[in-house]
Amino acid sequence: MPRRRAAWLLALALAGLAPVPGRAAGPAFAAVVPGAPLSFPRDHGAHPDFRTEWWYVTGWLDLPDGRSVGFQVTFFRTRTGIAPGNPSRFAPHQLVFAHAALADPAVGRLRHDQRAARAGFGLAEAAEGDTRLVLDGWTLDRRGRTYAMDILARDFRLALEAEAAGPPLLQGEAGFSRKGPRPAQASWYYSRPQLAVRGRLAVEGRETAVTGRAWLDHEWSSELLDEAAVGWDWAGINLDDGGALTVFRLRDARGNTRWAGGSRRWADGRQRAFAPGELAFEPRRHWQSPRGPARYPVEMAVTVAGPGGGTWLLSPLLDDQELDARASTGNLYWEGAVTALRDGRPVGRGYLELTGYGTRLRM
Amino acid sequence: MTAARLTAALAWSALRTQPGRSLVAALAIAVGIALGLAIHLINHSAVAEFSRAVASLAGEADLSLRGRMPEDVFAALAGDPDVAVASPQLELRVNLPGRREPLTVLGLDPFRAAALAPQLVGRPVEAPDGGRGPAGGGLALLEPDVVFLSPAALEWLGLAPGDRLPVQVGVATRELRVAGSLPAVGAGRRLGVMDIAGAQWTLDHPGLLTRIDLRLRPGADPAALRARWADRLPAGTRFETPGESGERGANVSRAYRVNLSVLALVALFTGAFLVFSTQVLSLLRRRPQLALLRVLGLTRGGLFALVLAEGAVLGLAGSVAGAAGGIAIAALSLRLLGGDLGGGYFNGIVPALSVSPGAVAGFVALGVAASLAGCLVPAWSAARARPAAALKAGDEETAMARVRSPWTGLACFAAAGALLSAGPVDELPLPGYAAVACLLVGGLALMPWLTARLLTLIPDAWARRPVAGLALTQLREAPGYAGIGLAGVLASFSLMAAMAIMVASFRVSLADWLDHVLPAQLYLRVGGGGETGFLAPADQEAIAATPGVARADFLRSRALSLDPRRPDVLLLARAITRDRPAARLPLVGDPVPVPRDAVPVWVSEAVVDLYGVRAGDAWTLPLGGQGLPVVVAGVWRDYARQHGAVAMAMEDYRRATGDARVNDVAIWLAEGADPGRVQAALRERLGAGEGLSFVEAGELRRISLDIFDRSFAVTYLLEVVAVGVGLAGIAVSFGGQALARLREFGMLRHLGFRRRDVDALLALEGALLSAIGVAAGLGLGWLISQVLIRVINPQSFHWTMDTAVPWPLLLAVSAVLVALATLTSVVAGRRALSVGAVRAVKEDW
Amino acid sequence: MRDAHPSPVVRLRDVSKAYPGGASVLRGLHLELTAGEYVAVIGESGVGKSTLLNLVAGLDAPDAGEVEVCGAPMARLGDDQATLLRRRHIGFVFQAFHVLPHLTVLQNVALPLALNGLSADHAVVMLAAVGLAAKGQRKPRELSGGELQRVAIARALVHRPALLLADEPTGNLDPATASSVLALLRRQVAATGAAAILVTHSALAAASADRVLRLTSDGLVPA
Repeated sequence: MPRRRAAWLLALALAGLAPVPGRAAGPAFAAVVPGAPLSFPRDHGAHPDFRTEWWYVTGWLDLPDGRSVGFQVTFFRTRTGIAPGNPSRFAPHQLVFAHAALADPAVGRLRHDQRAARAGFGLAEAAEGDTRLVLDGWTLDRRGRTYAMDILARDFRLALEAEAAGPPLLQGEAGFSRKGPRPAQASWYYSRPQLAVRGRLAVEGRETAVTGRAWLDHEWSSELLDEAAVGWDWAGINLDDGGALTVFRLRDARGNTRWAGGSRRWADGRQRAFAPGELAFEPRRHWQSPRGPARYPVEMAVTVAGPGGGTWLLSPLLDDQELDARASTGNLYWEGAVTALRDGRPVGRGYLELTGYGTRLRM
Repeated sequence: MTAARLTAALAWSALRTQPGRSLVAALAIAVGIALGLAIHLINHSAVAEFSRAVASLAGEADLSLRGRMPEDVFAALAGDPDVAVASPQLELRVNLPGRREPLTVLGLDPFRAAALAPQLVGRPVEAPDGGRGPAGGGLALLEPDVVFLSPAALEWLGLAPGDRLPVQVGVATRELRVAGSLPAVGAGRRLGVMDIAGAQWTLDHPGLLTRIDLRLRPGADPAALRARWADRLPAGTRFETPGESGERGANVSRAYRVNLSVLALVALFTGAFLVFSTQVLSLLRRRPQLALLRVLGLTRGGLFALVLAEGAVLGLAGSVAGAAGGIAIAALSLRLLGGDLGGGYFNGIVPALSVSPGAVAGFVALGVAASLAGCLVPAWSAARARPAAALKAGDEETAMARVRSPWTGLACFAAAGALLSAGPVDELPLPGYAAVACLLVGGLALMPWLTARLLTLIPDAWARRPVAGLALTQLREAPGYAGIGLAGVLASFSLMAAMAIMVASFRVSLADWLDHVLPAQLYLRVGGGGETGFLAPADQEAIAATPGVARADFLRSRALSLDPRRPDVLLLARAITRDRPAARLPLVGDPVPVPRDAVPVWVSEAVVDLYGVRAGDAWTLPLGGQGLPVVVAGVWRDYARQHGAVAMAMEDYRRATGDARVNDVAIWLAEGADPGRVQAALRERLGAGEGLSFVEAGELRRISLDIFDRSFAVTYLLEVVAVGVGLAGIAVSFGGQALARLREFGMLRHLGFRRRDVDALLALEGALLSAIGVAAGLGLGWLISQVLIRVINPQSFHWTMDTAVPWPLLLAVSAVLVALATLTSVVAGRRALSVGAVRAVKEDW
Repeated sequence: MRDAHPSPVVRLRDVSKAYPGGASVLRGLHLELTAGEYVAVIGESGVGKSTLLNLVAGLDAPDAGEVEVCGAPMARLGDDQATLLRRRHIGFVFQAFHVLPHLTVLQNVALPLALNGLSADHAVVMLAAVGLAAKGQRKPRELSGGELQRVAIARALVHRPALLLADEPTGNLDPATASSVLALLRRQVAATGAAAILVTHSALAAASADRVLRLTSDGLVPA
């Protein structure tokens, strides 16, 4: 959950909105309570009763010339709670945001673009019942085991299909994922690792066929961030052996871990959720942002205790994968493609997110 | 001393020796330039502000779809493959309780407007506690009752972020929260911005949009998009580029502005005429001096340049003073009256004065040109004079021989006739104005001839007595001189009479019209000028059922766009029966029968002029999506809306639009009912506060006529100026004549004329001349008034009126003028005699 | 300058002029005037003495015959050319003085210099020569008739014209003043070396001339 708040903040800021914790006069949002099992395909679709929800695709693309680039495509839905009685078709009951980025070492920084709109008129929708998202021409749809996305960004275009190999990976306890010391600090969270990607990427007018491997997260919740946390680290890695590794932690102001979690799934389908005490994060190399005060641990060693554990070194595709949203929120954070190494050998590829390193994220 | 400096020195000394005349001529030029420049600057400032407002609303849109439309159009347009961004808007003039002027509020989607017009996206003011600000913080921009106000609106309303803004919706008052300001909106623009959903809901206009701004994808062709959508858009909407929107702003007030400008030109014309008469007299007096210069070797060109130089000095002095005055007047008027001089064309815009050096220079040049034009004929005739003959005194009358012929004047009248048969040019009555100028010039040119004719009618028996005989002989034998004095009377008085007749005709017609359109005793108005005040059906039933109300006639008015290049017309739906439309409308001409199954509408005269429809025509109104086929059943006179109005029966309107709201109610009181009690009862029943305004018919009539008088105040002022300038002209020309005739008077005194005999001589001449001038001025004024009434007014404002001559006023002014002219003549003669008698002999000029 | 004109300063050959009103008629006039010559023309009132001067000055055109001034065919020049010739080579003195009332005495004298684009310095010299050095800054109305005519003489000669035309210069003056003005005129004309035509009916005035001609209906004849 915390990792997605970065996109959430970004998207809100896009519209000039500053979210306020604990908006008093809101309507009742649905609560995340364990016990009710997830049901598909219904839970592939939107859950408009909850405050926030996102579909988050990250992955690596291999170009015909042998180079690799990272990409991310996010759709985000939020329920505003504003004037539920307003019958206008423009009434901003639900907002939809989207964010797309491309990480190319040859460029040396991210290419990115973003959209925001109120839901309605078929122009911006997050459908219930299945994954069907649209925002001013950007789309993400599920057809069977395949997710199709078409993103025409300012300076690139992604038209990809991502096919899942296995069933959804339910995080936490059958999808009930705790995000803090208090039981209410939780979300519904499942992932689709090891998505086989094929499609086309167009940059600067040149279109190429690409293949690759991606990861989809779908998470929804009504609860907000733990008040002691200033930022978080998160990573999702598609292991080369077909397995998947998810790790995350919330940091307090002194950099100590306030909460942690994650999971390991093996190629044969076995899986294990990590307890907060089983995870350790150790920065190995920092990168100083040229844009602000942030010094990001762009190379991070993650150690997991217990069965299926070990130490993975996460090494970035390029150092500068900082997302510059100062023009809207004033926030800077890091979201980038990484290679996972074990004993110096690459064993998987995925994405790492680092937030709250410069200043506390503005809320 | 070079030749040029010699010319300048001679010109200056000539002007200095007749300071009074020079001053009056320069002053007249100054008045014309001041008024003309002021009107130009005020309008220029207003249009510039209006264009800035248009530009800031459109932002960076390539194309806008304008007009009332259902919101589905937005979804369809936004989905067009050529459209990159579509930003929907709902613009409403929101009624504010207790204020006459509405506030324009723009409902928009900040997500989409941010891409096209970021200056219209409000910035919430954050409270010090970090978020729970005045608007509740958070998603303030999207809250349905939050409004962001431009700095001009905040100042106008006396509000600050965090305050509440009460607005009228229906008959109720709702409060909006002022969450912040719109710092980037033009300084003079009063504007509020809300979320579009909030505007639709809170201001009660569900499902409506008034505008969609589009940014096209790179390479998309706006023309192709327009063509593709041409057939699919609802009636009454149209595409516009930002440039096209700005143009309309300049057109709105054009006729009004041109009218005022022409009035200013009248002052300028009078000034040019005064320069003319000053120069003619001055040159007559200086004929021998100028002849001497010619003998000494000054060429014709040199003499011509000398006279023109004198005119240029006059013109420049007058123009510079006028320009300064004009800027001052403009600044003052903008502060007191607003950018439309009380014309009501630029609501919600408070322009700052912008003075363009080019305009100022242009008007100064115009003043100099007018003065030079006044000098042309005298200069030409002075240069043509034979120096040997001119050196001898007593030659003046031959110089005037030319003007005795009636043909020039008759030719001018013929030209005026030809001009009047031409239609308006570019929708402005320019030929009409030119005809007025021709009539004036023709009248002036005819004056000497006419004077000679009229004087021969006076029986010789009257002239037996020595003084009367001399006066009559002088006038008969020297009509040229007399004509110049007369021309001043004629020019100013004919214009004054023309304006007086026109204004009186207008006022009488307006009063009749008011009687016709205000048949009930009590009027209830909800939201004058705004769009959010209205009476819902339940309110209407409550009104009809209120004790003391015998009958209630409901009226729905709203703007209707018939042509994108023109201002909207007003649609009036009211209880009109197709058989007796004259009961509700002041019809012009007979109504035409309309087929039973057709929807009849009655159009104002402006609609006939502007849209070319005639009674009996089949027509389509952009109502109800597809457009409503109607038949024009008649034409009515409307003094209230110069851009046009269309009336239709209430039931036809409701059937076509489903809109059951009304704005105005005409109430007939039951026998013996007290208007005050009925008002109180209505207020109570409707549960409404300040939003309702009641007016009794008499009051409304009085207010209307007051507004009329106020808007013609500028005209009255100009009339006073014209008459004053005319009187000054009389003084100038009589004084000049007296000086020129010093030797004659001196001789008469030697022959035994007493001083008061000379006075009597002058008085008689003055009275005779001014009487002739006033009589001719009345005739000419009547002619010009007919041009104003029958040509210029219908072409400018698209309404007609019946001629009504204000005889008491005209006769009184005539008498005063003759008396003043007589007095002026005597005073001018006395002054000339007292200073000049001795010198006259000695100088021998 | 004048030596540059070996031909006569004025030559009239068979000049005739009649007015529609028939008031004065000139017929078959012949006249030749060389530099420095001072001629008086006498005759009855209305016989056309002023017309003669106007013809010479190019202010009027003859019906027939030749008018030559400083070698230029005056009658056949356009108005502007005639004016320029007049401006440069002719000076005028009138019976009625004709001094511009709004200019100072000095400015009046300087007028021909200004018209010819010359420096005004010589006007001071000329004013002194006519004995009015002290009154240069006065306005004409402060001067007596005799003084005004001195101003006119100074103005007529200030630009050293080849020809001076004087039309009854003493007609408005008392006999004493008249003779002093005539003497001054004679002296100044001689000083500038100009030819002069003096039109008068005063025997006293005519007596000051080198030769006296009588204008009759048959032409100019020696008196």
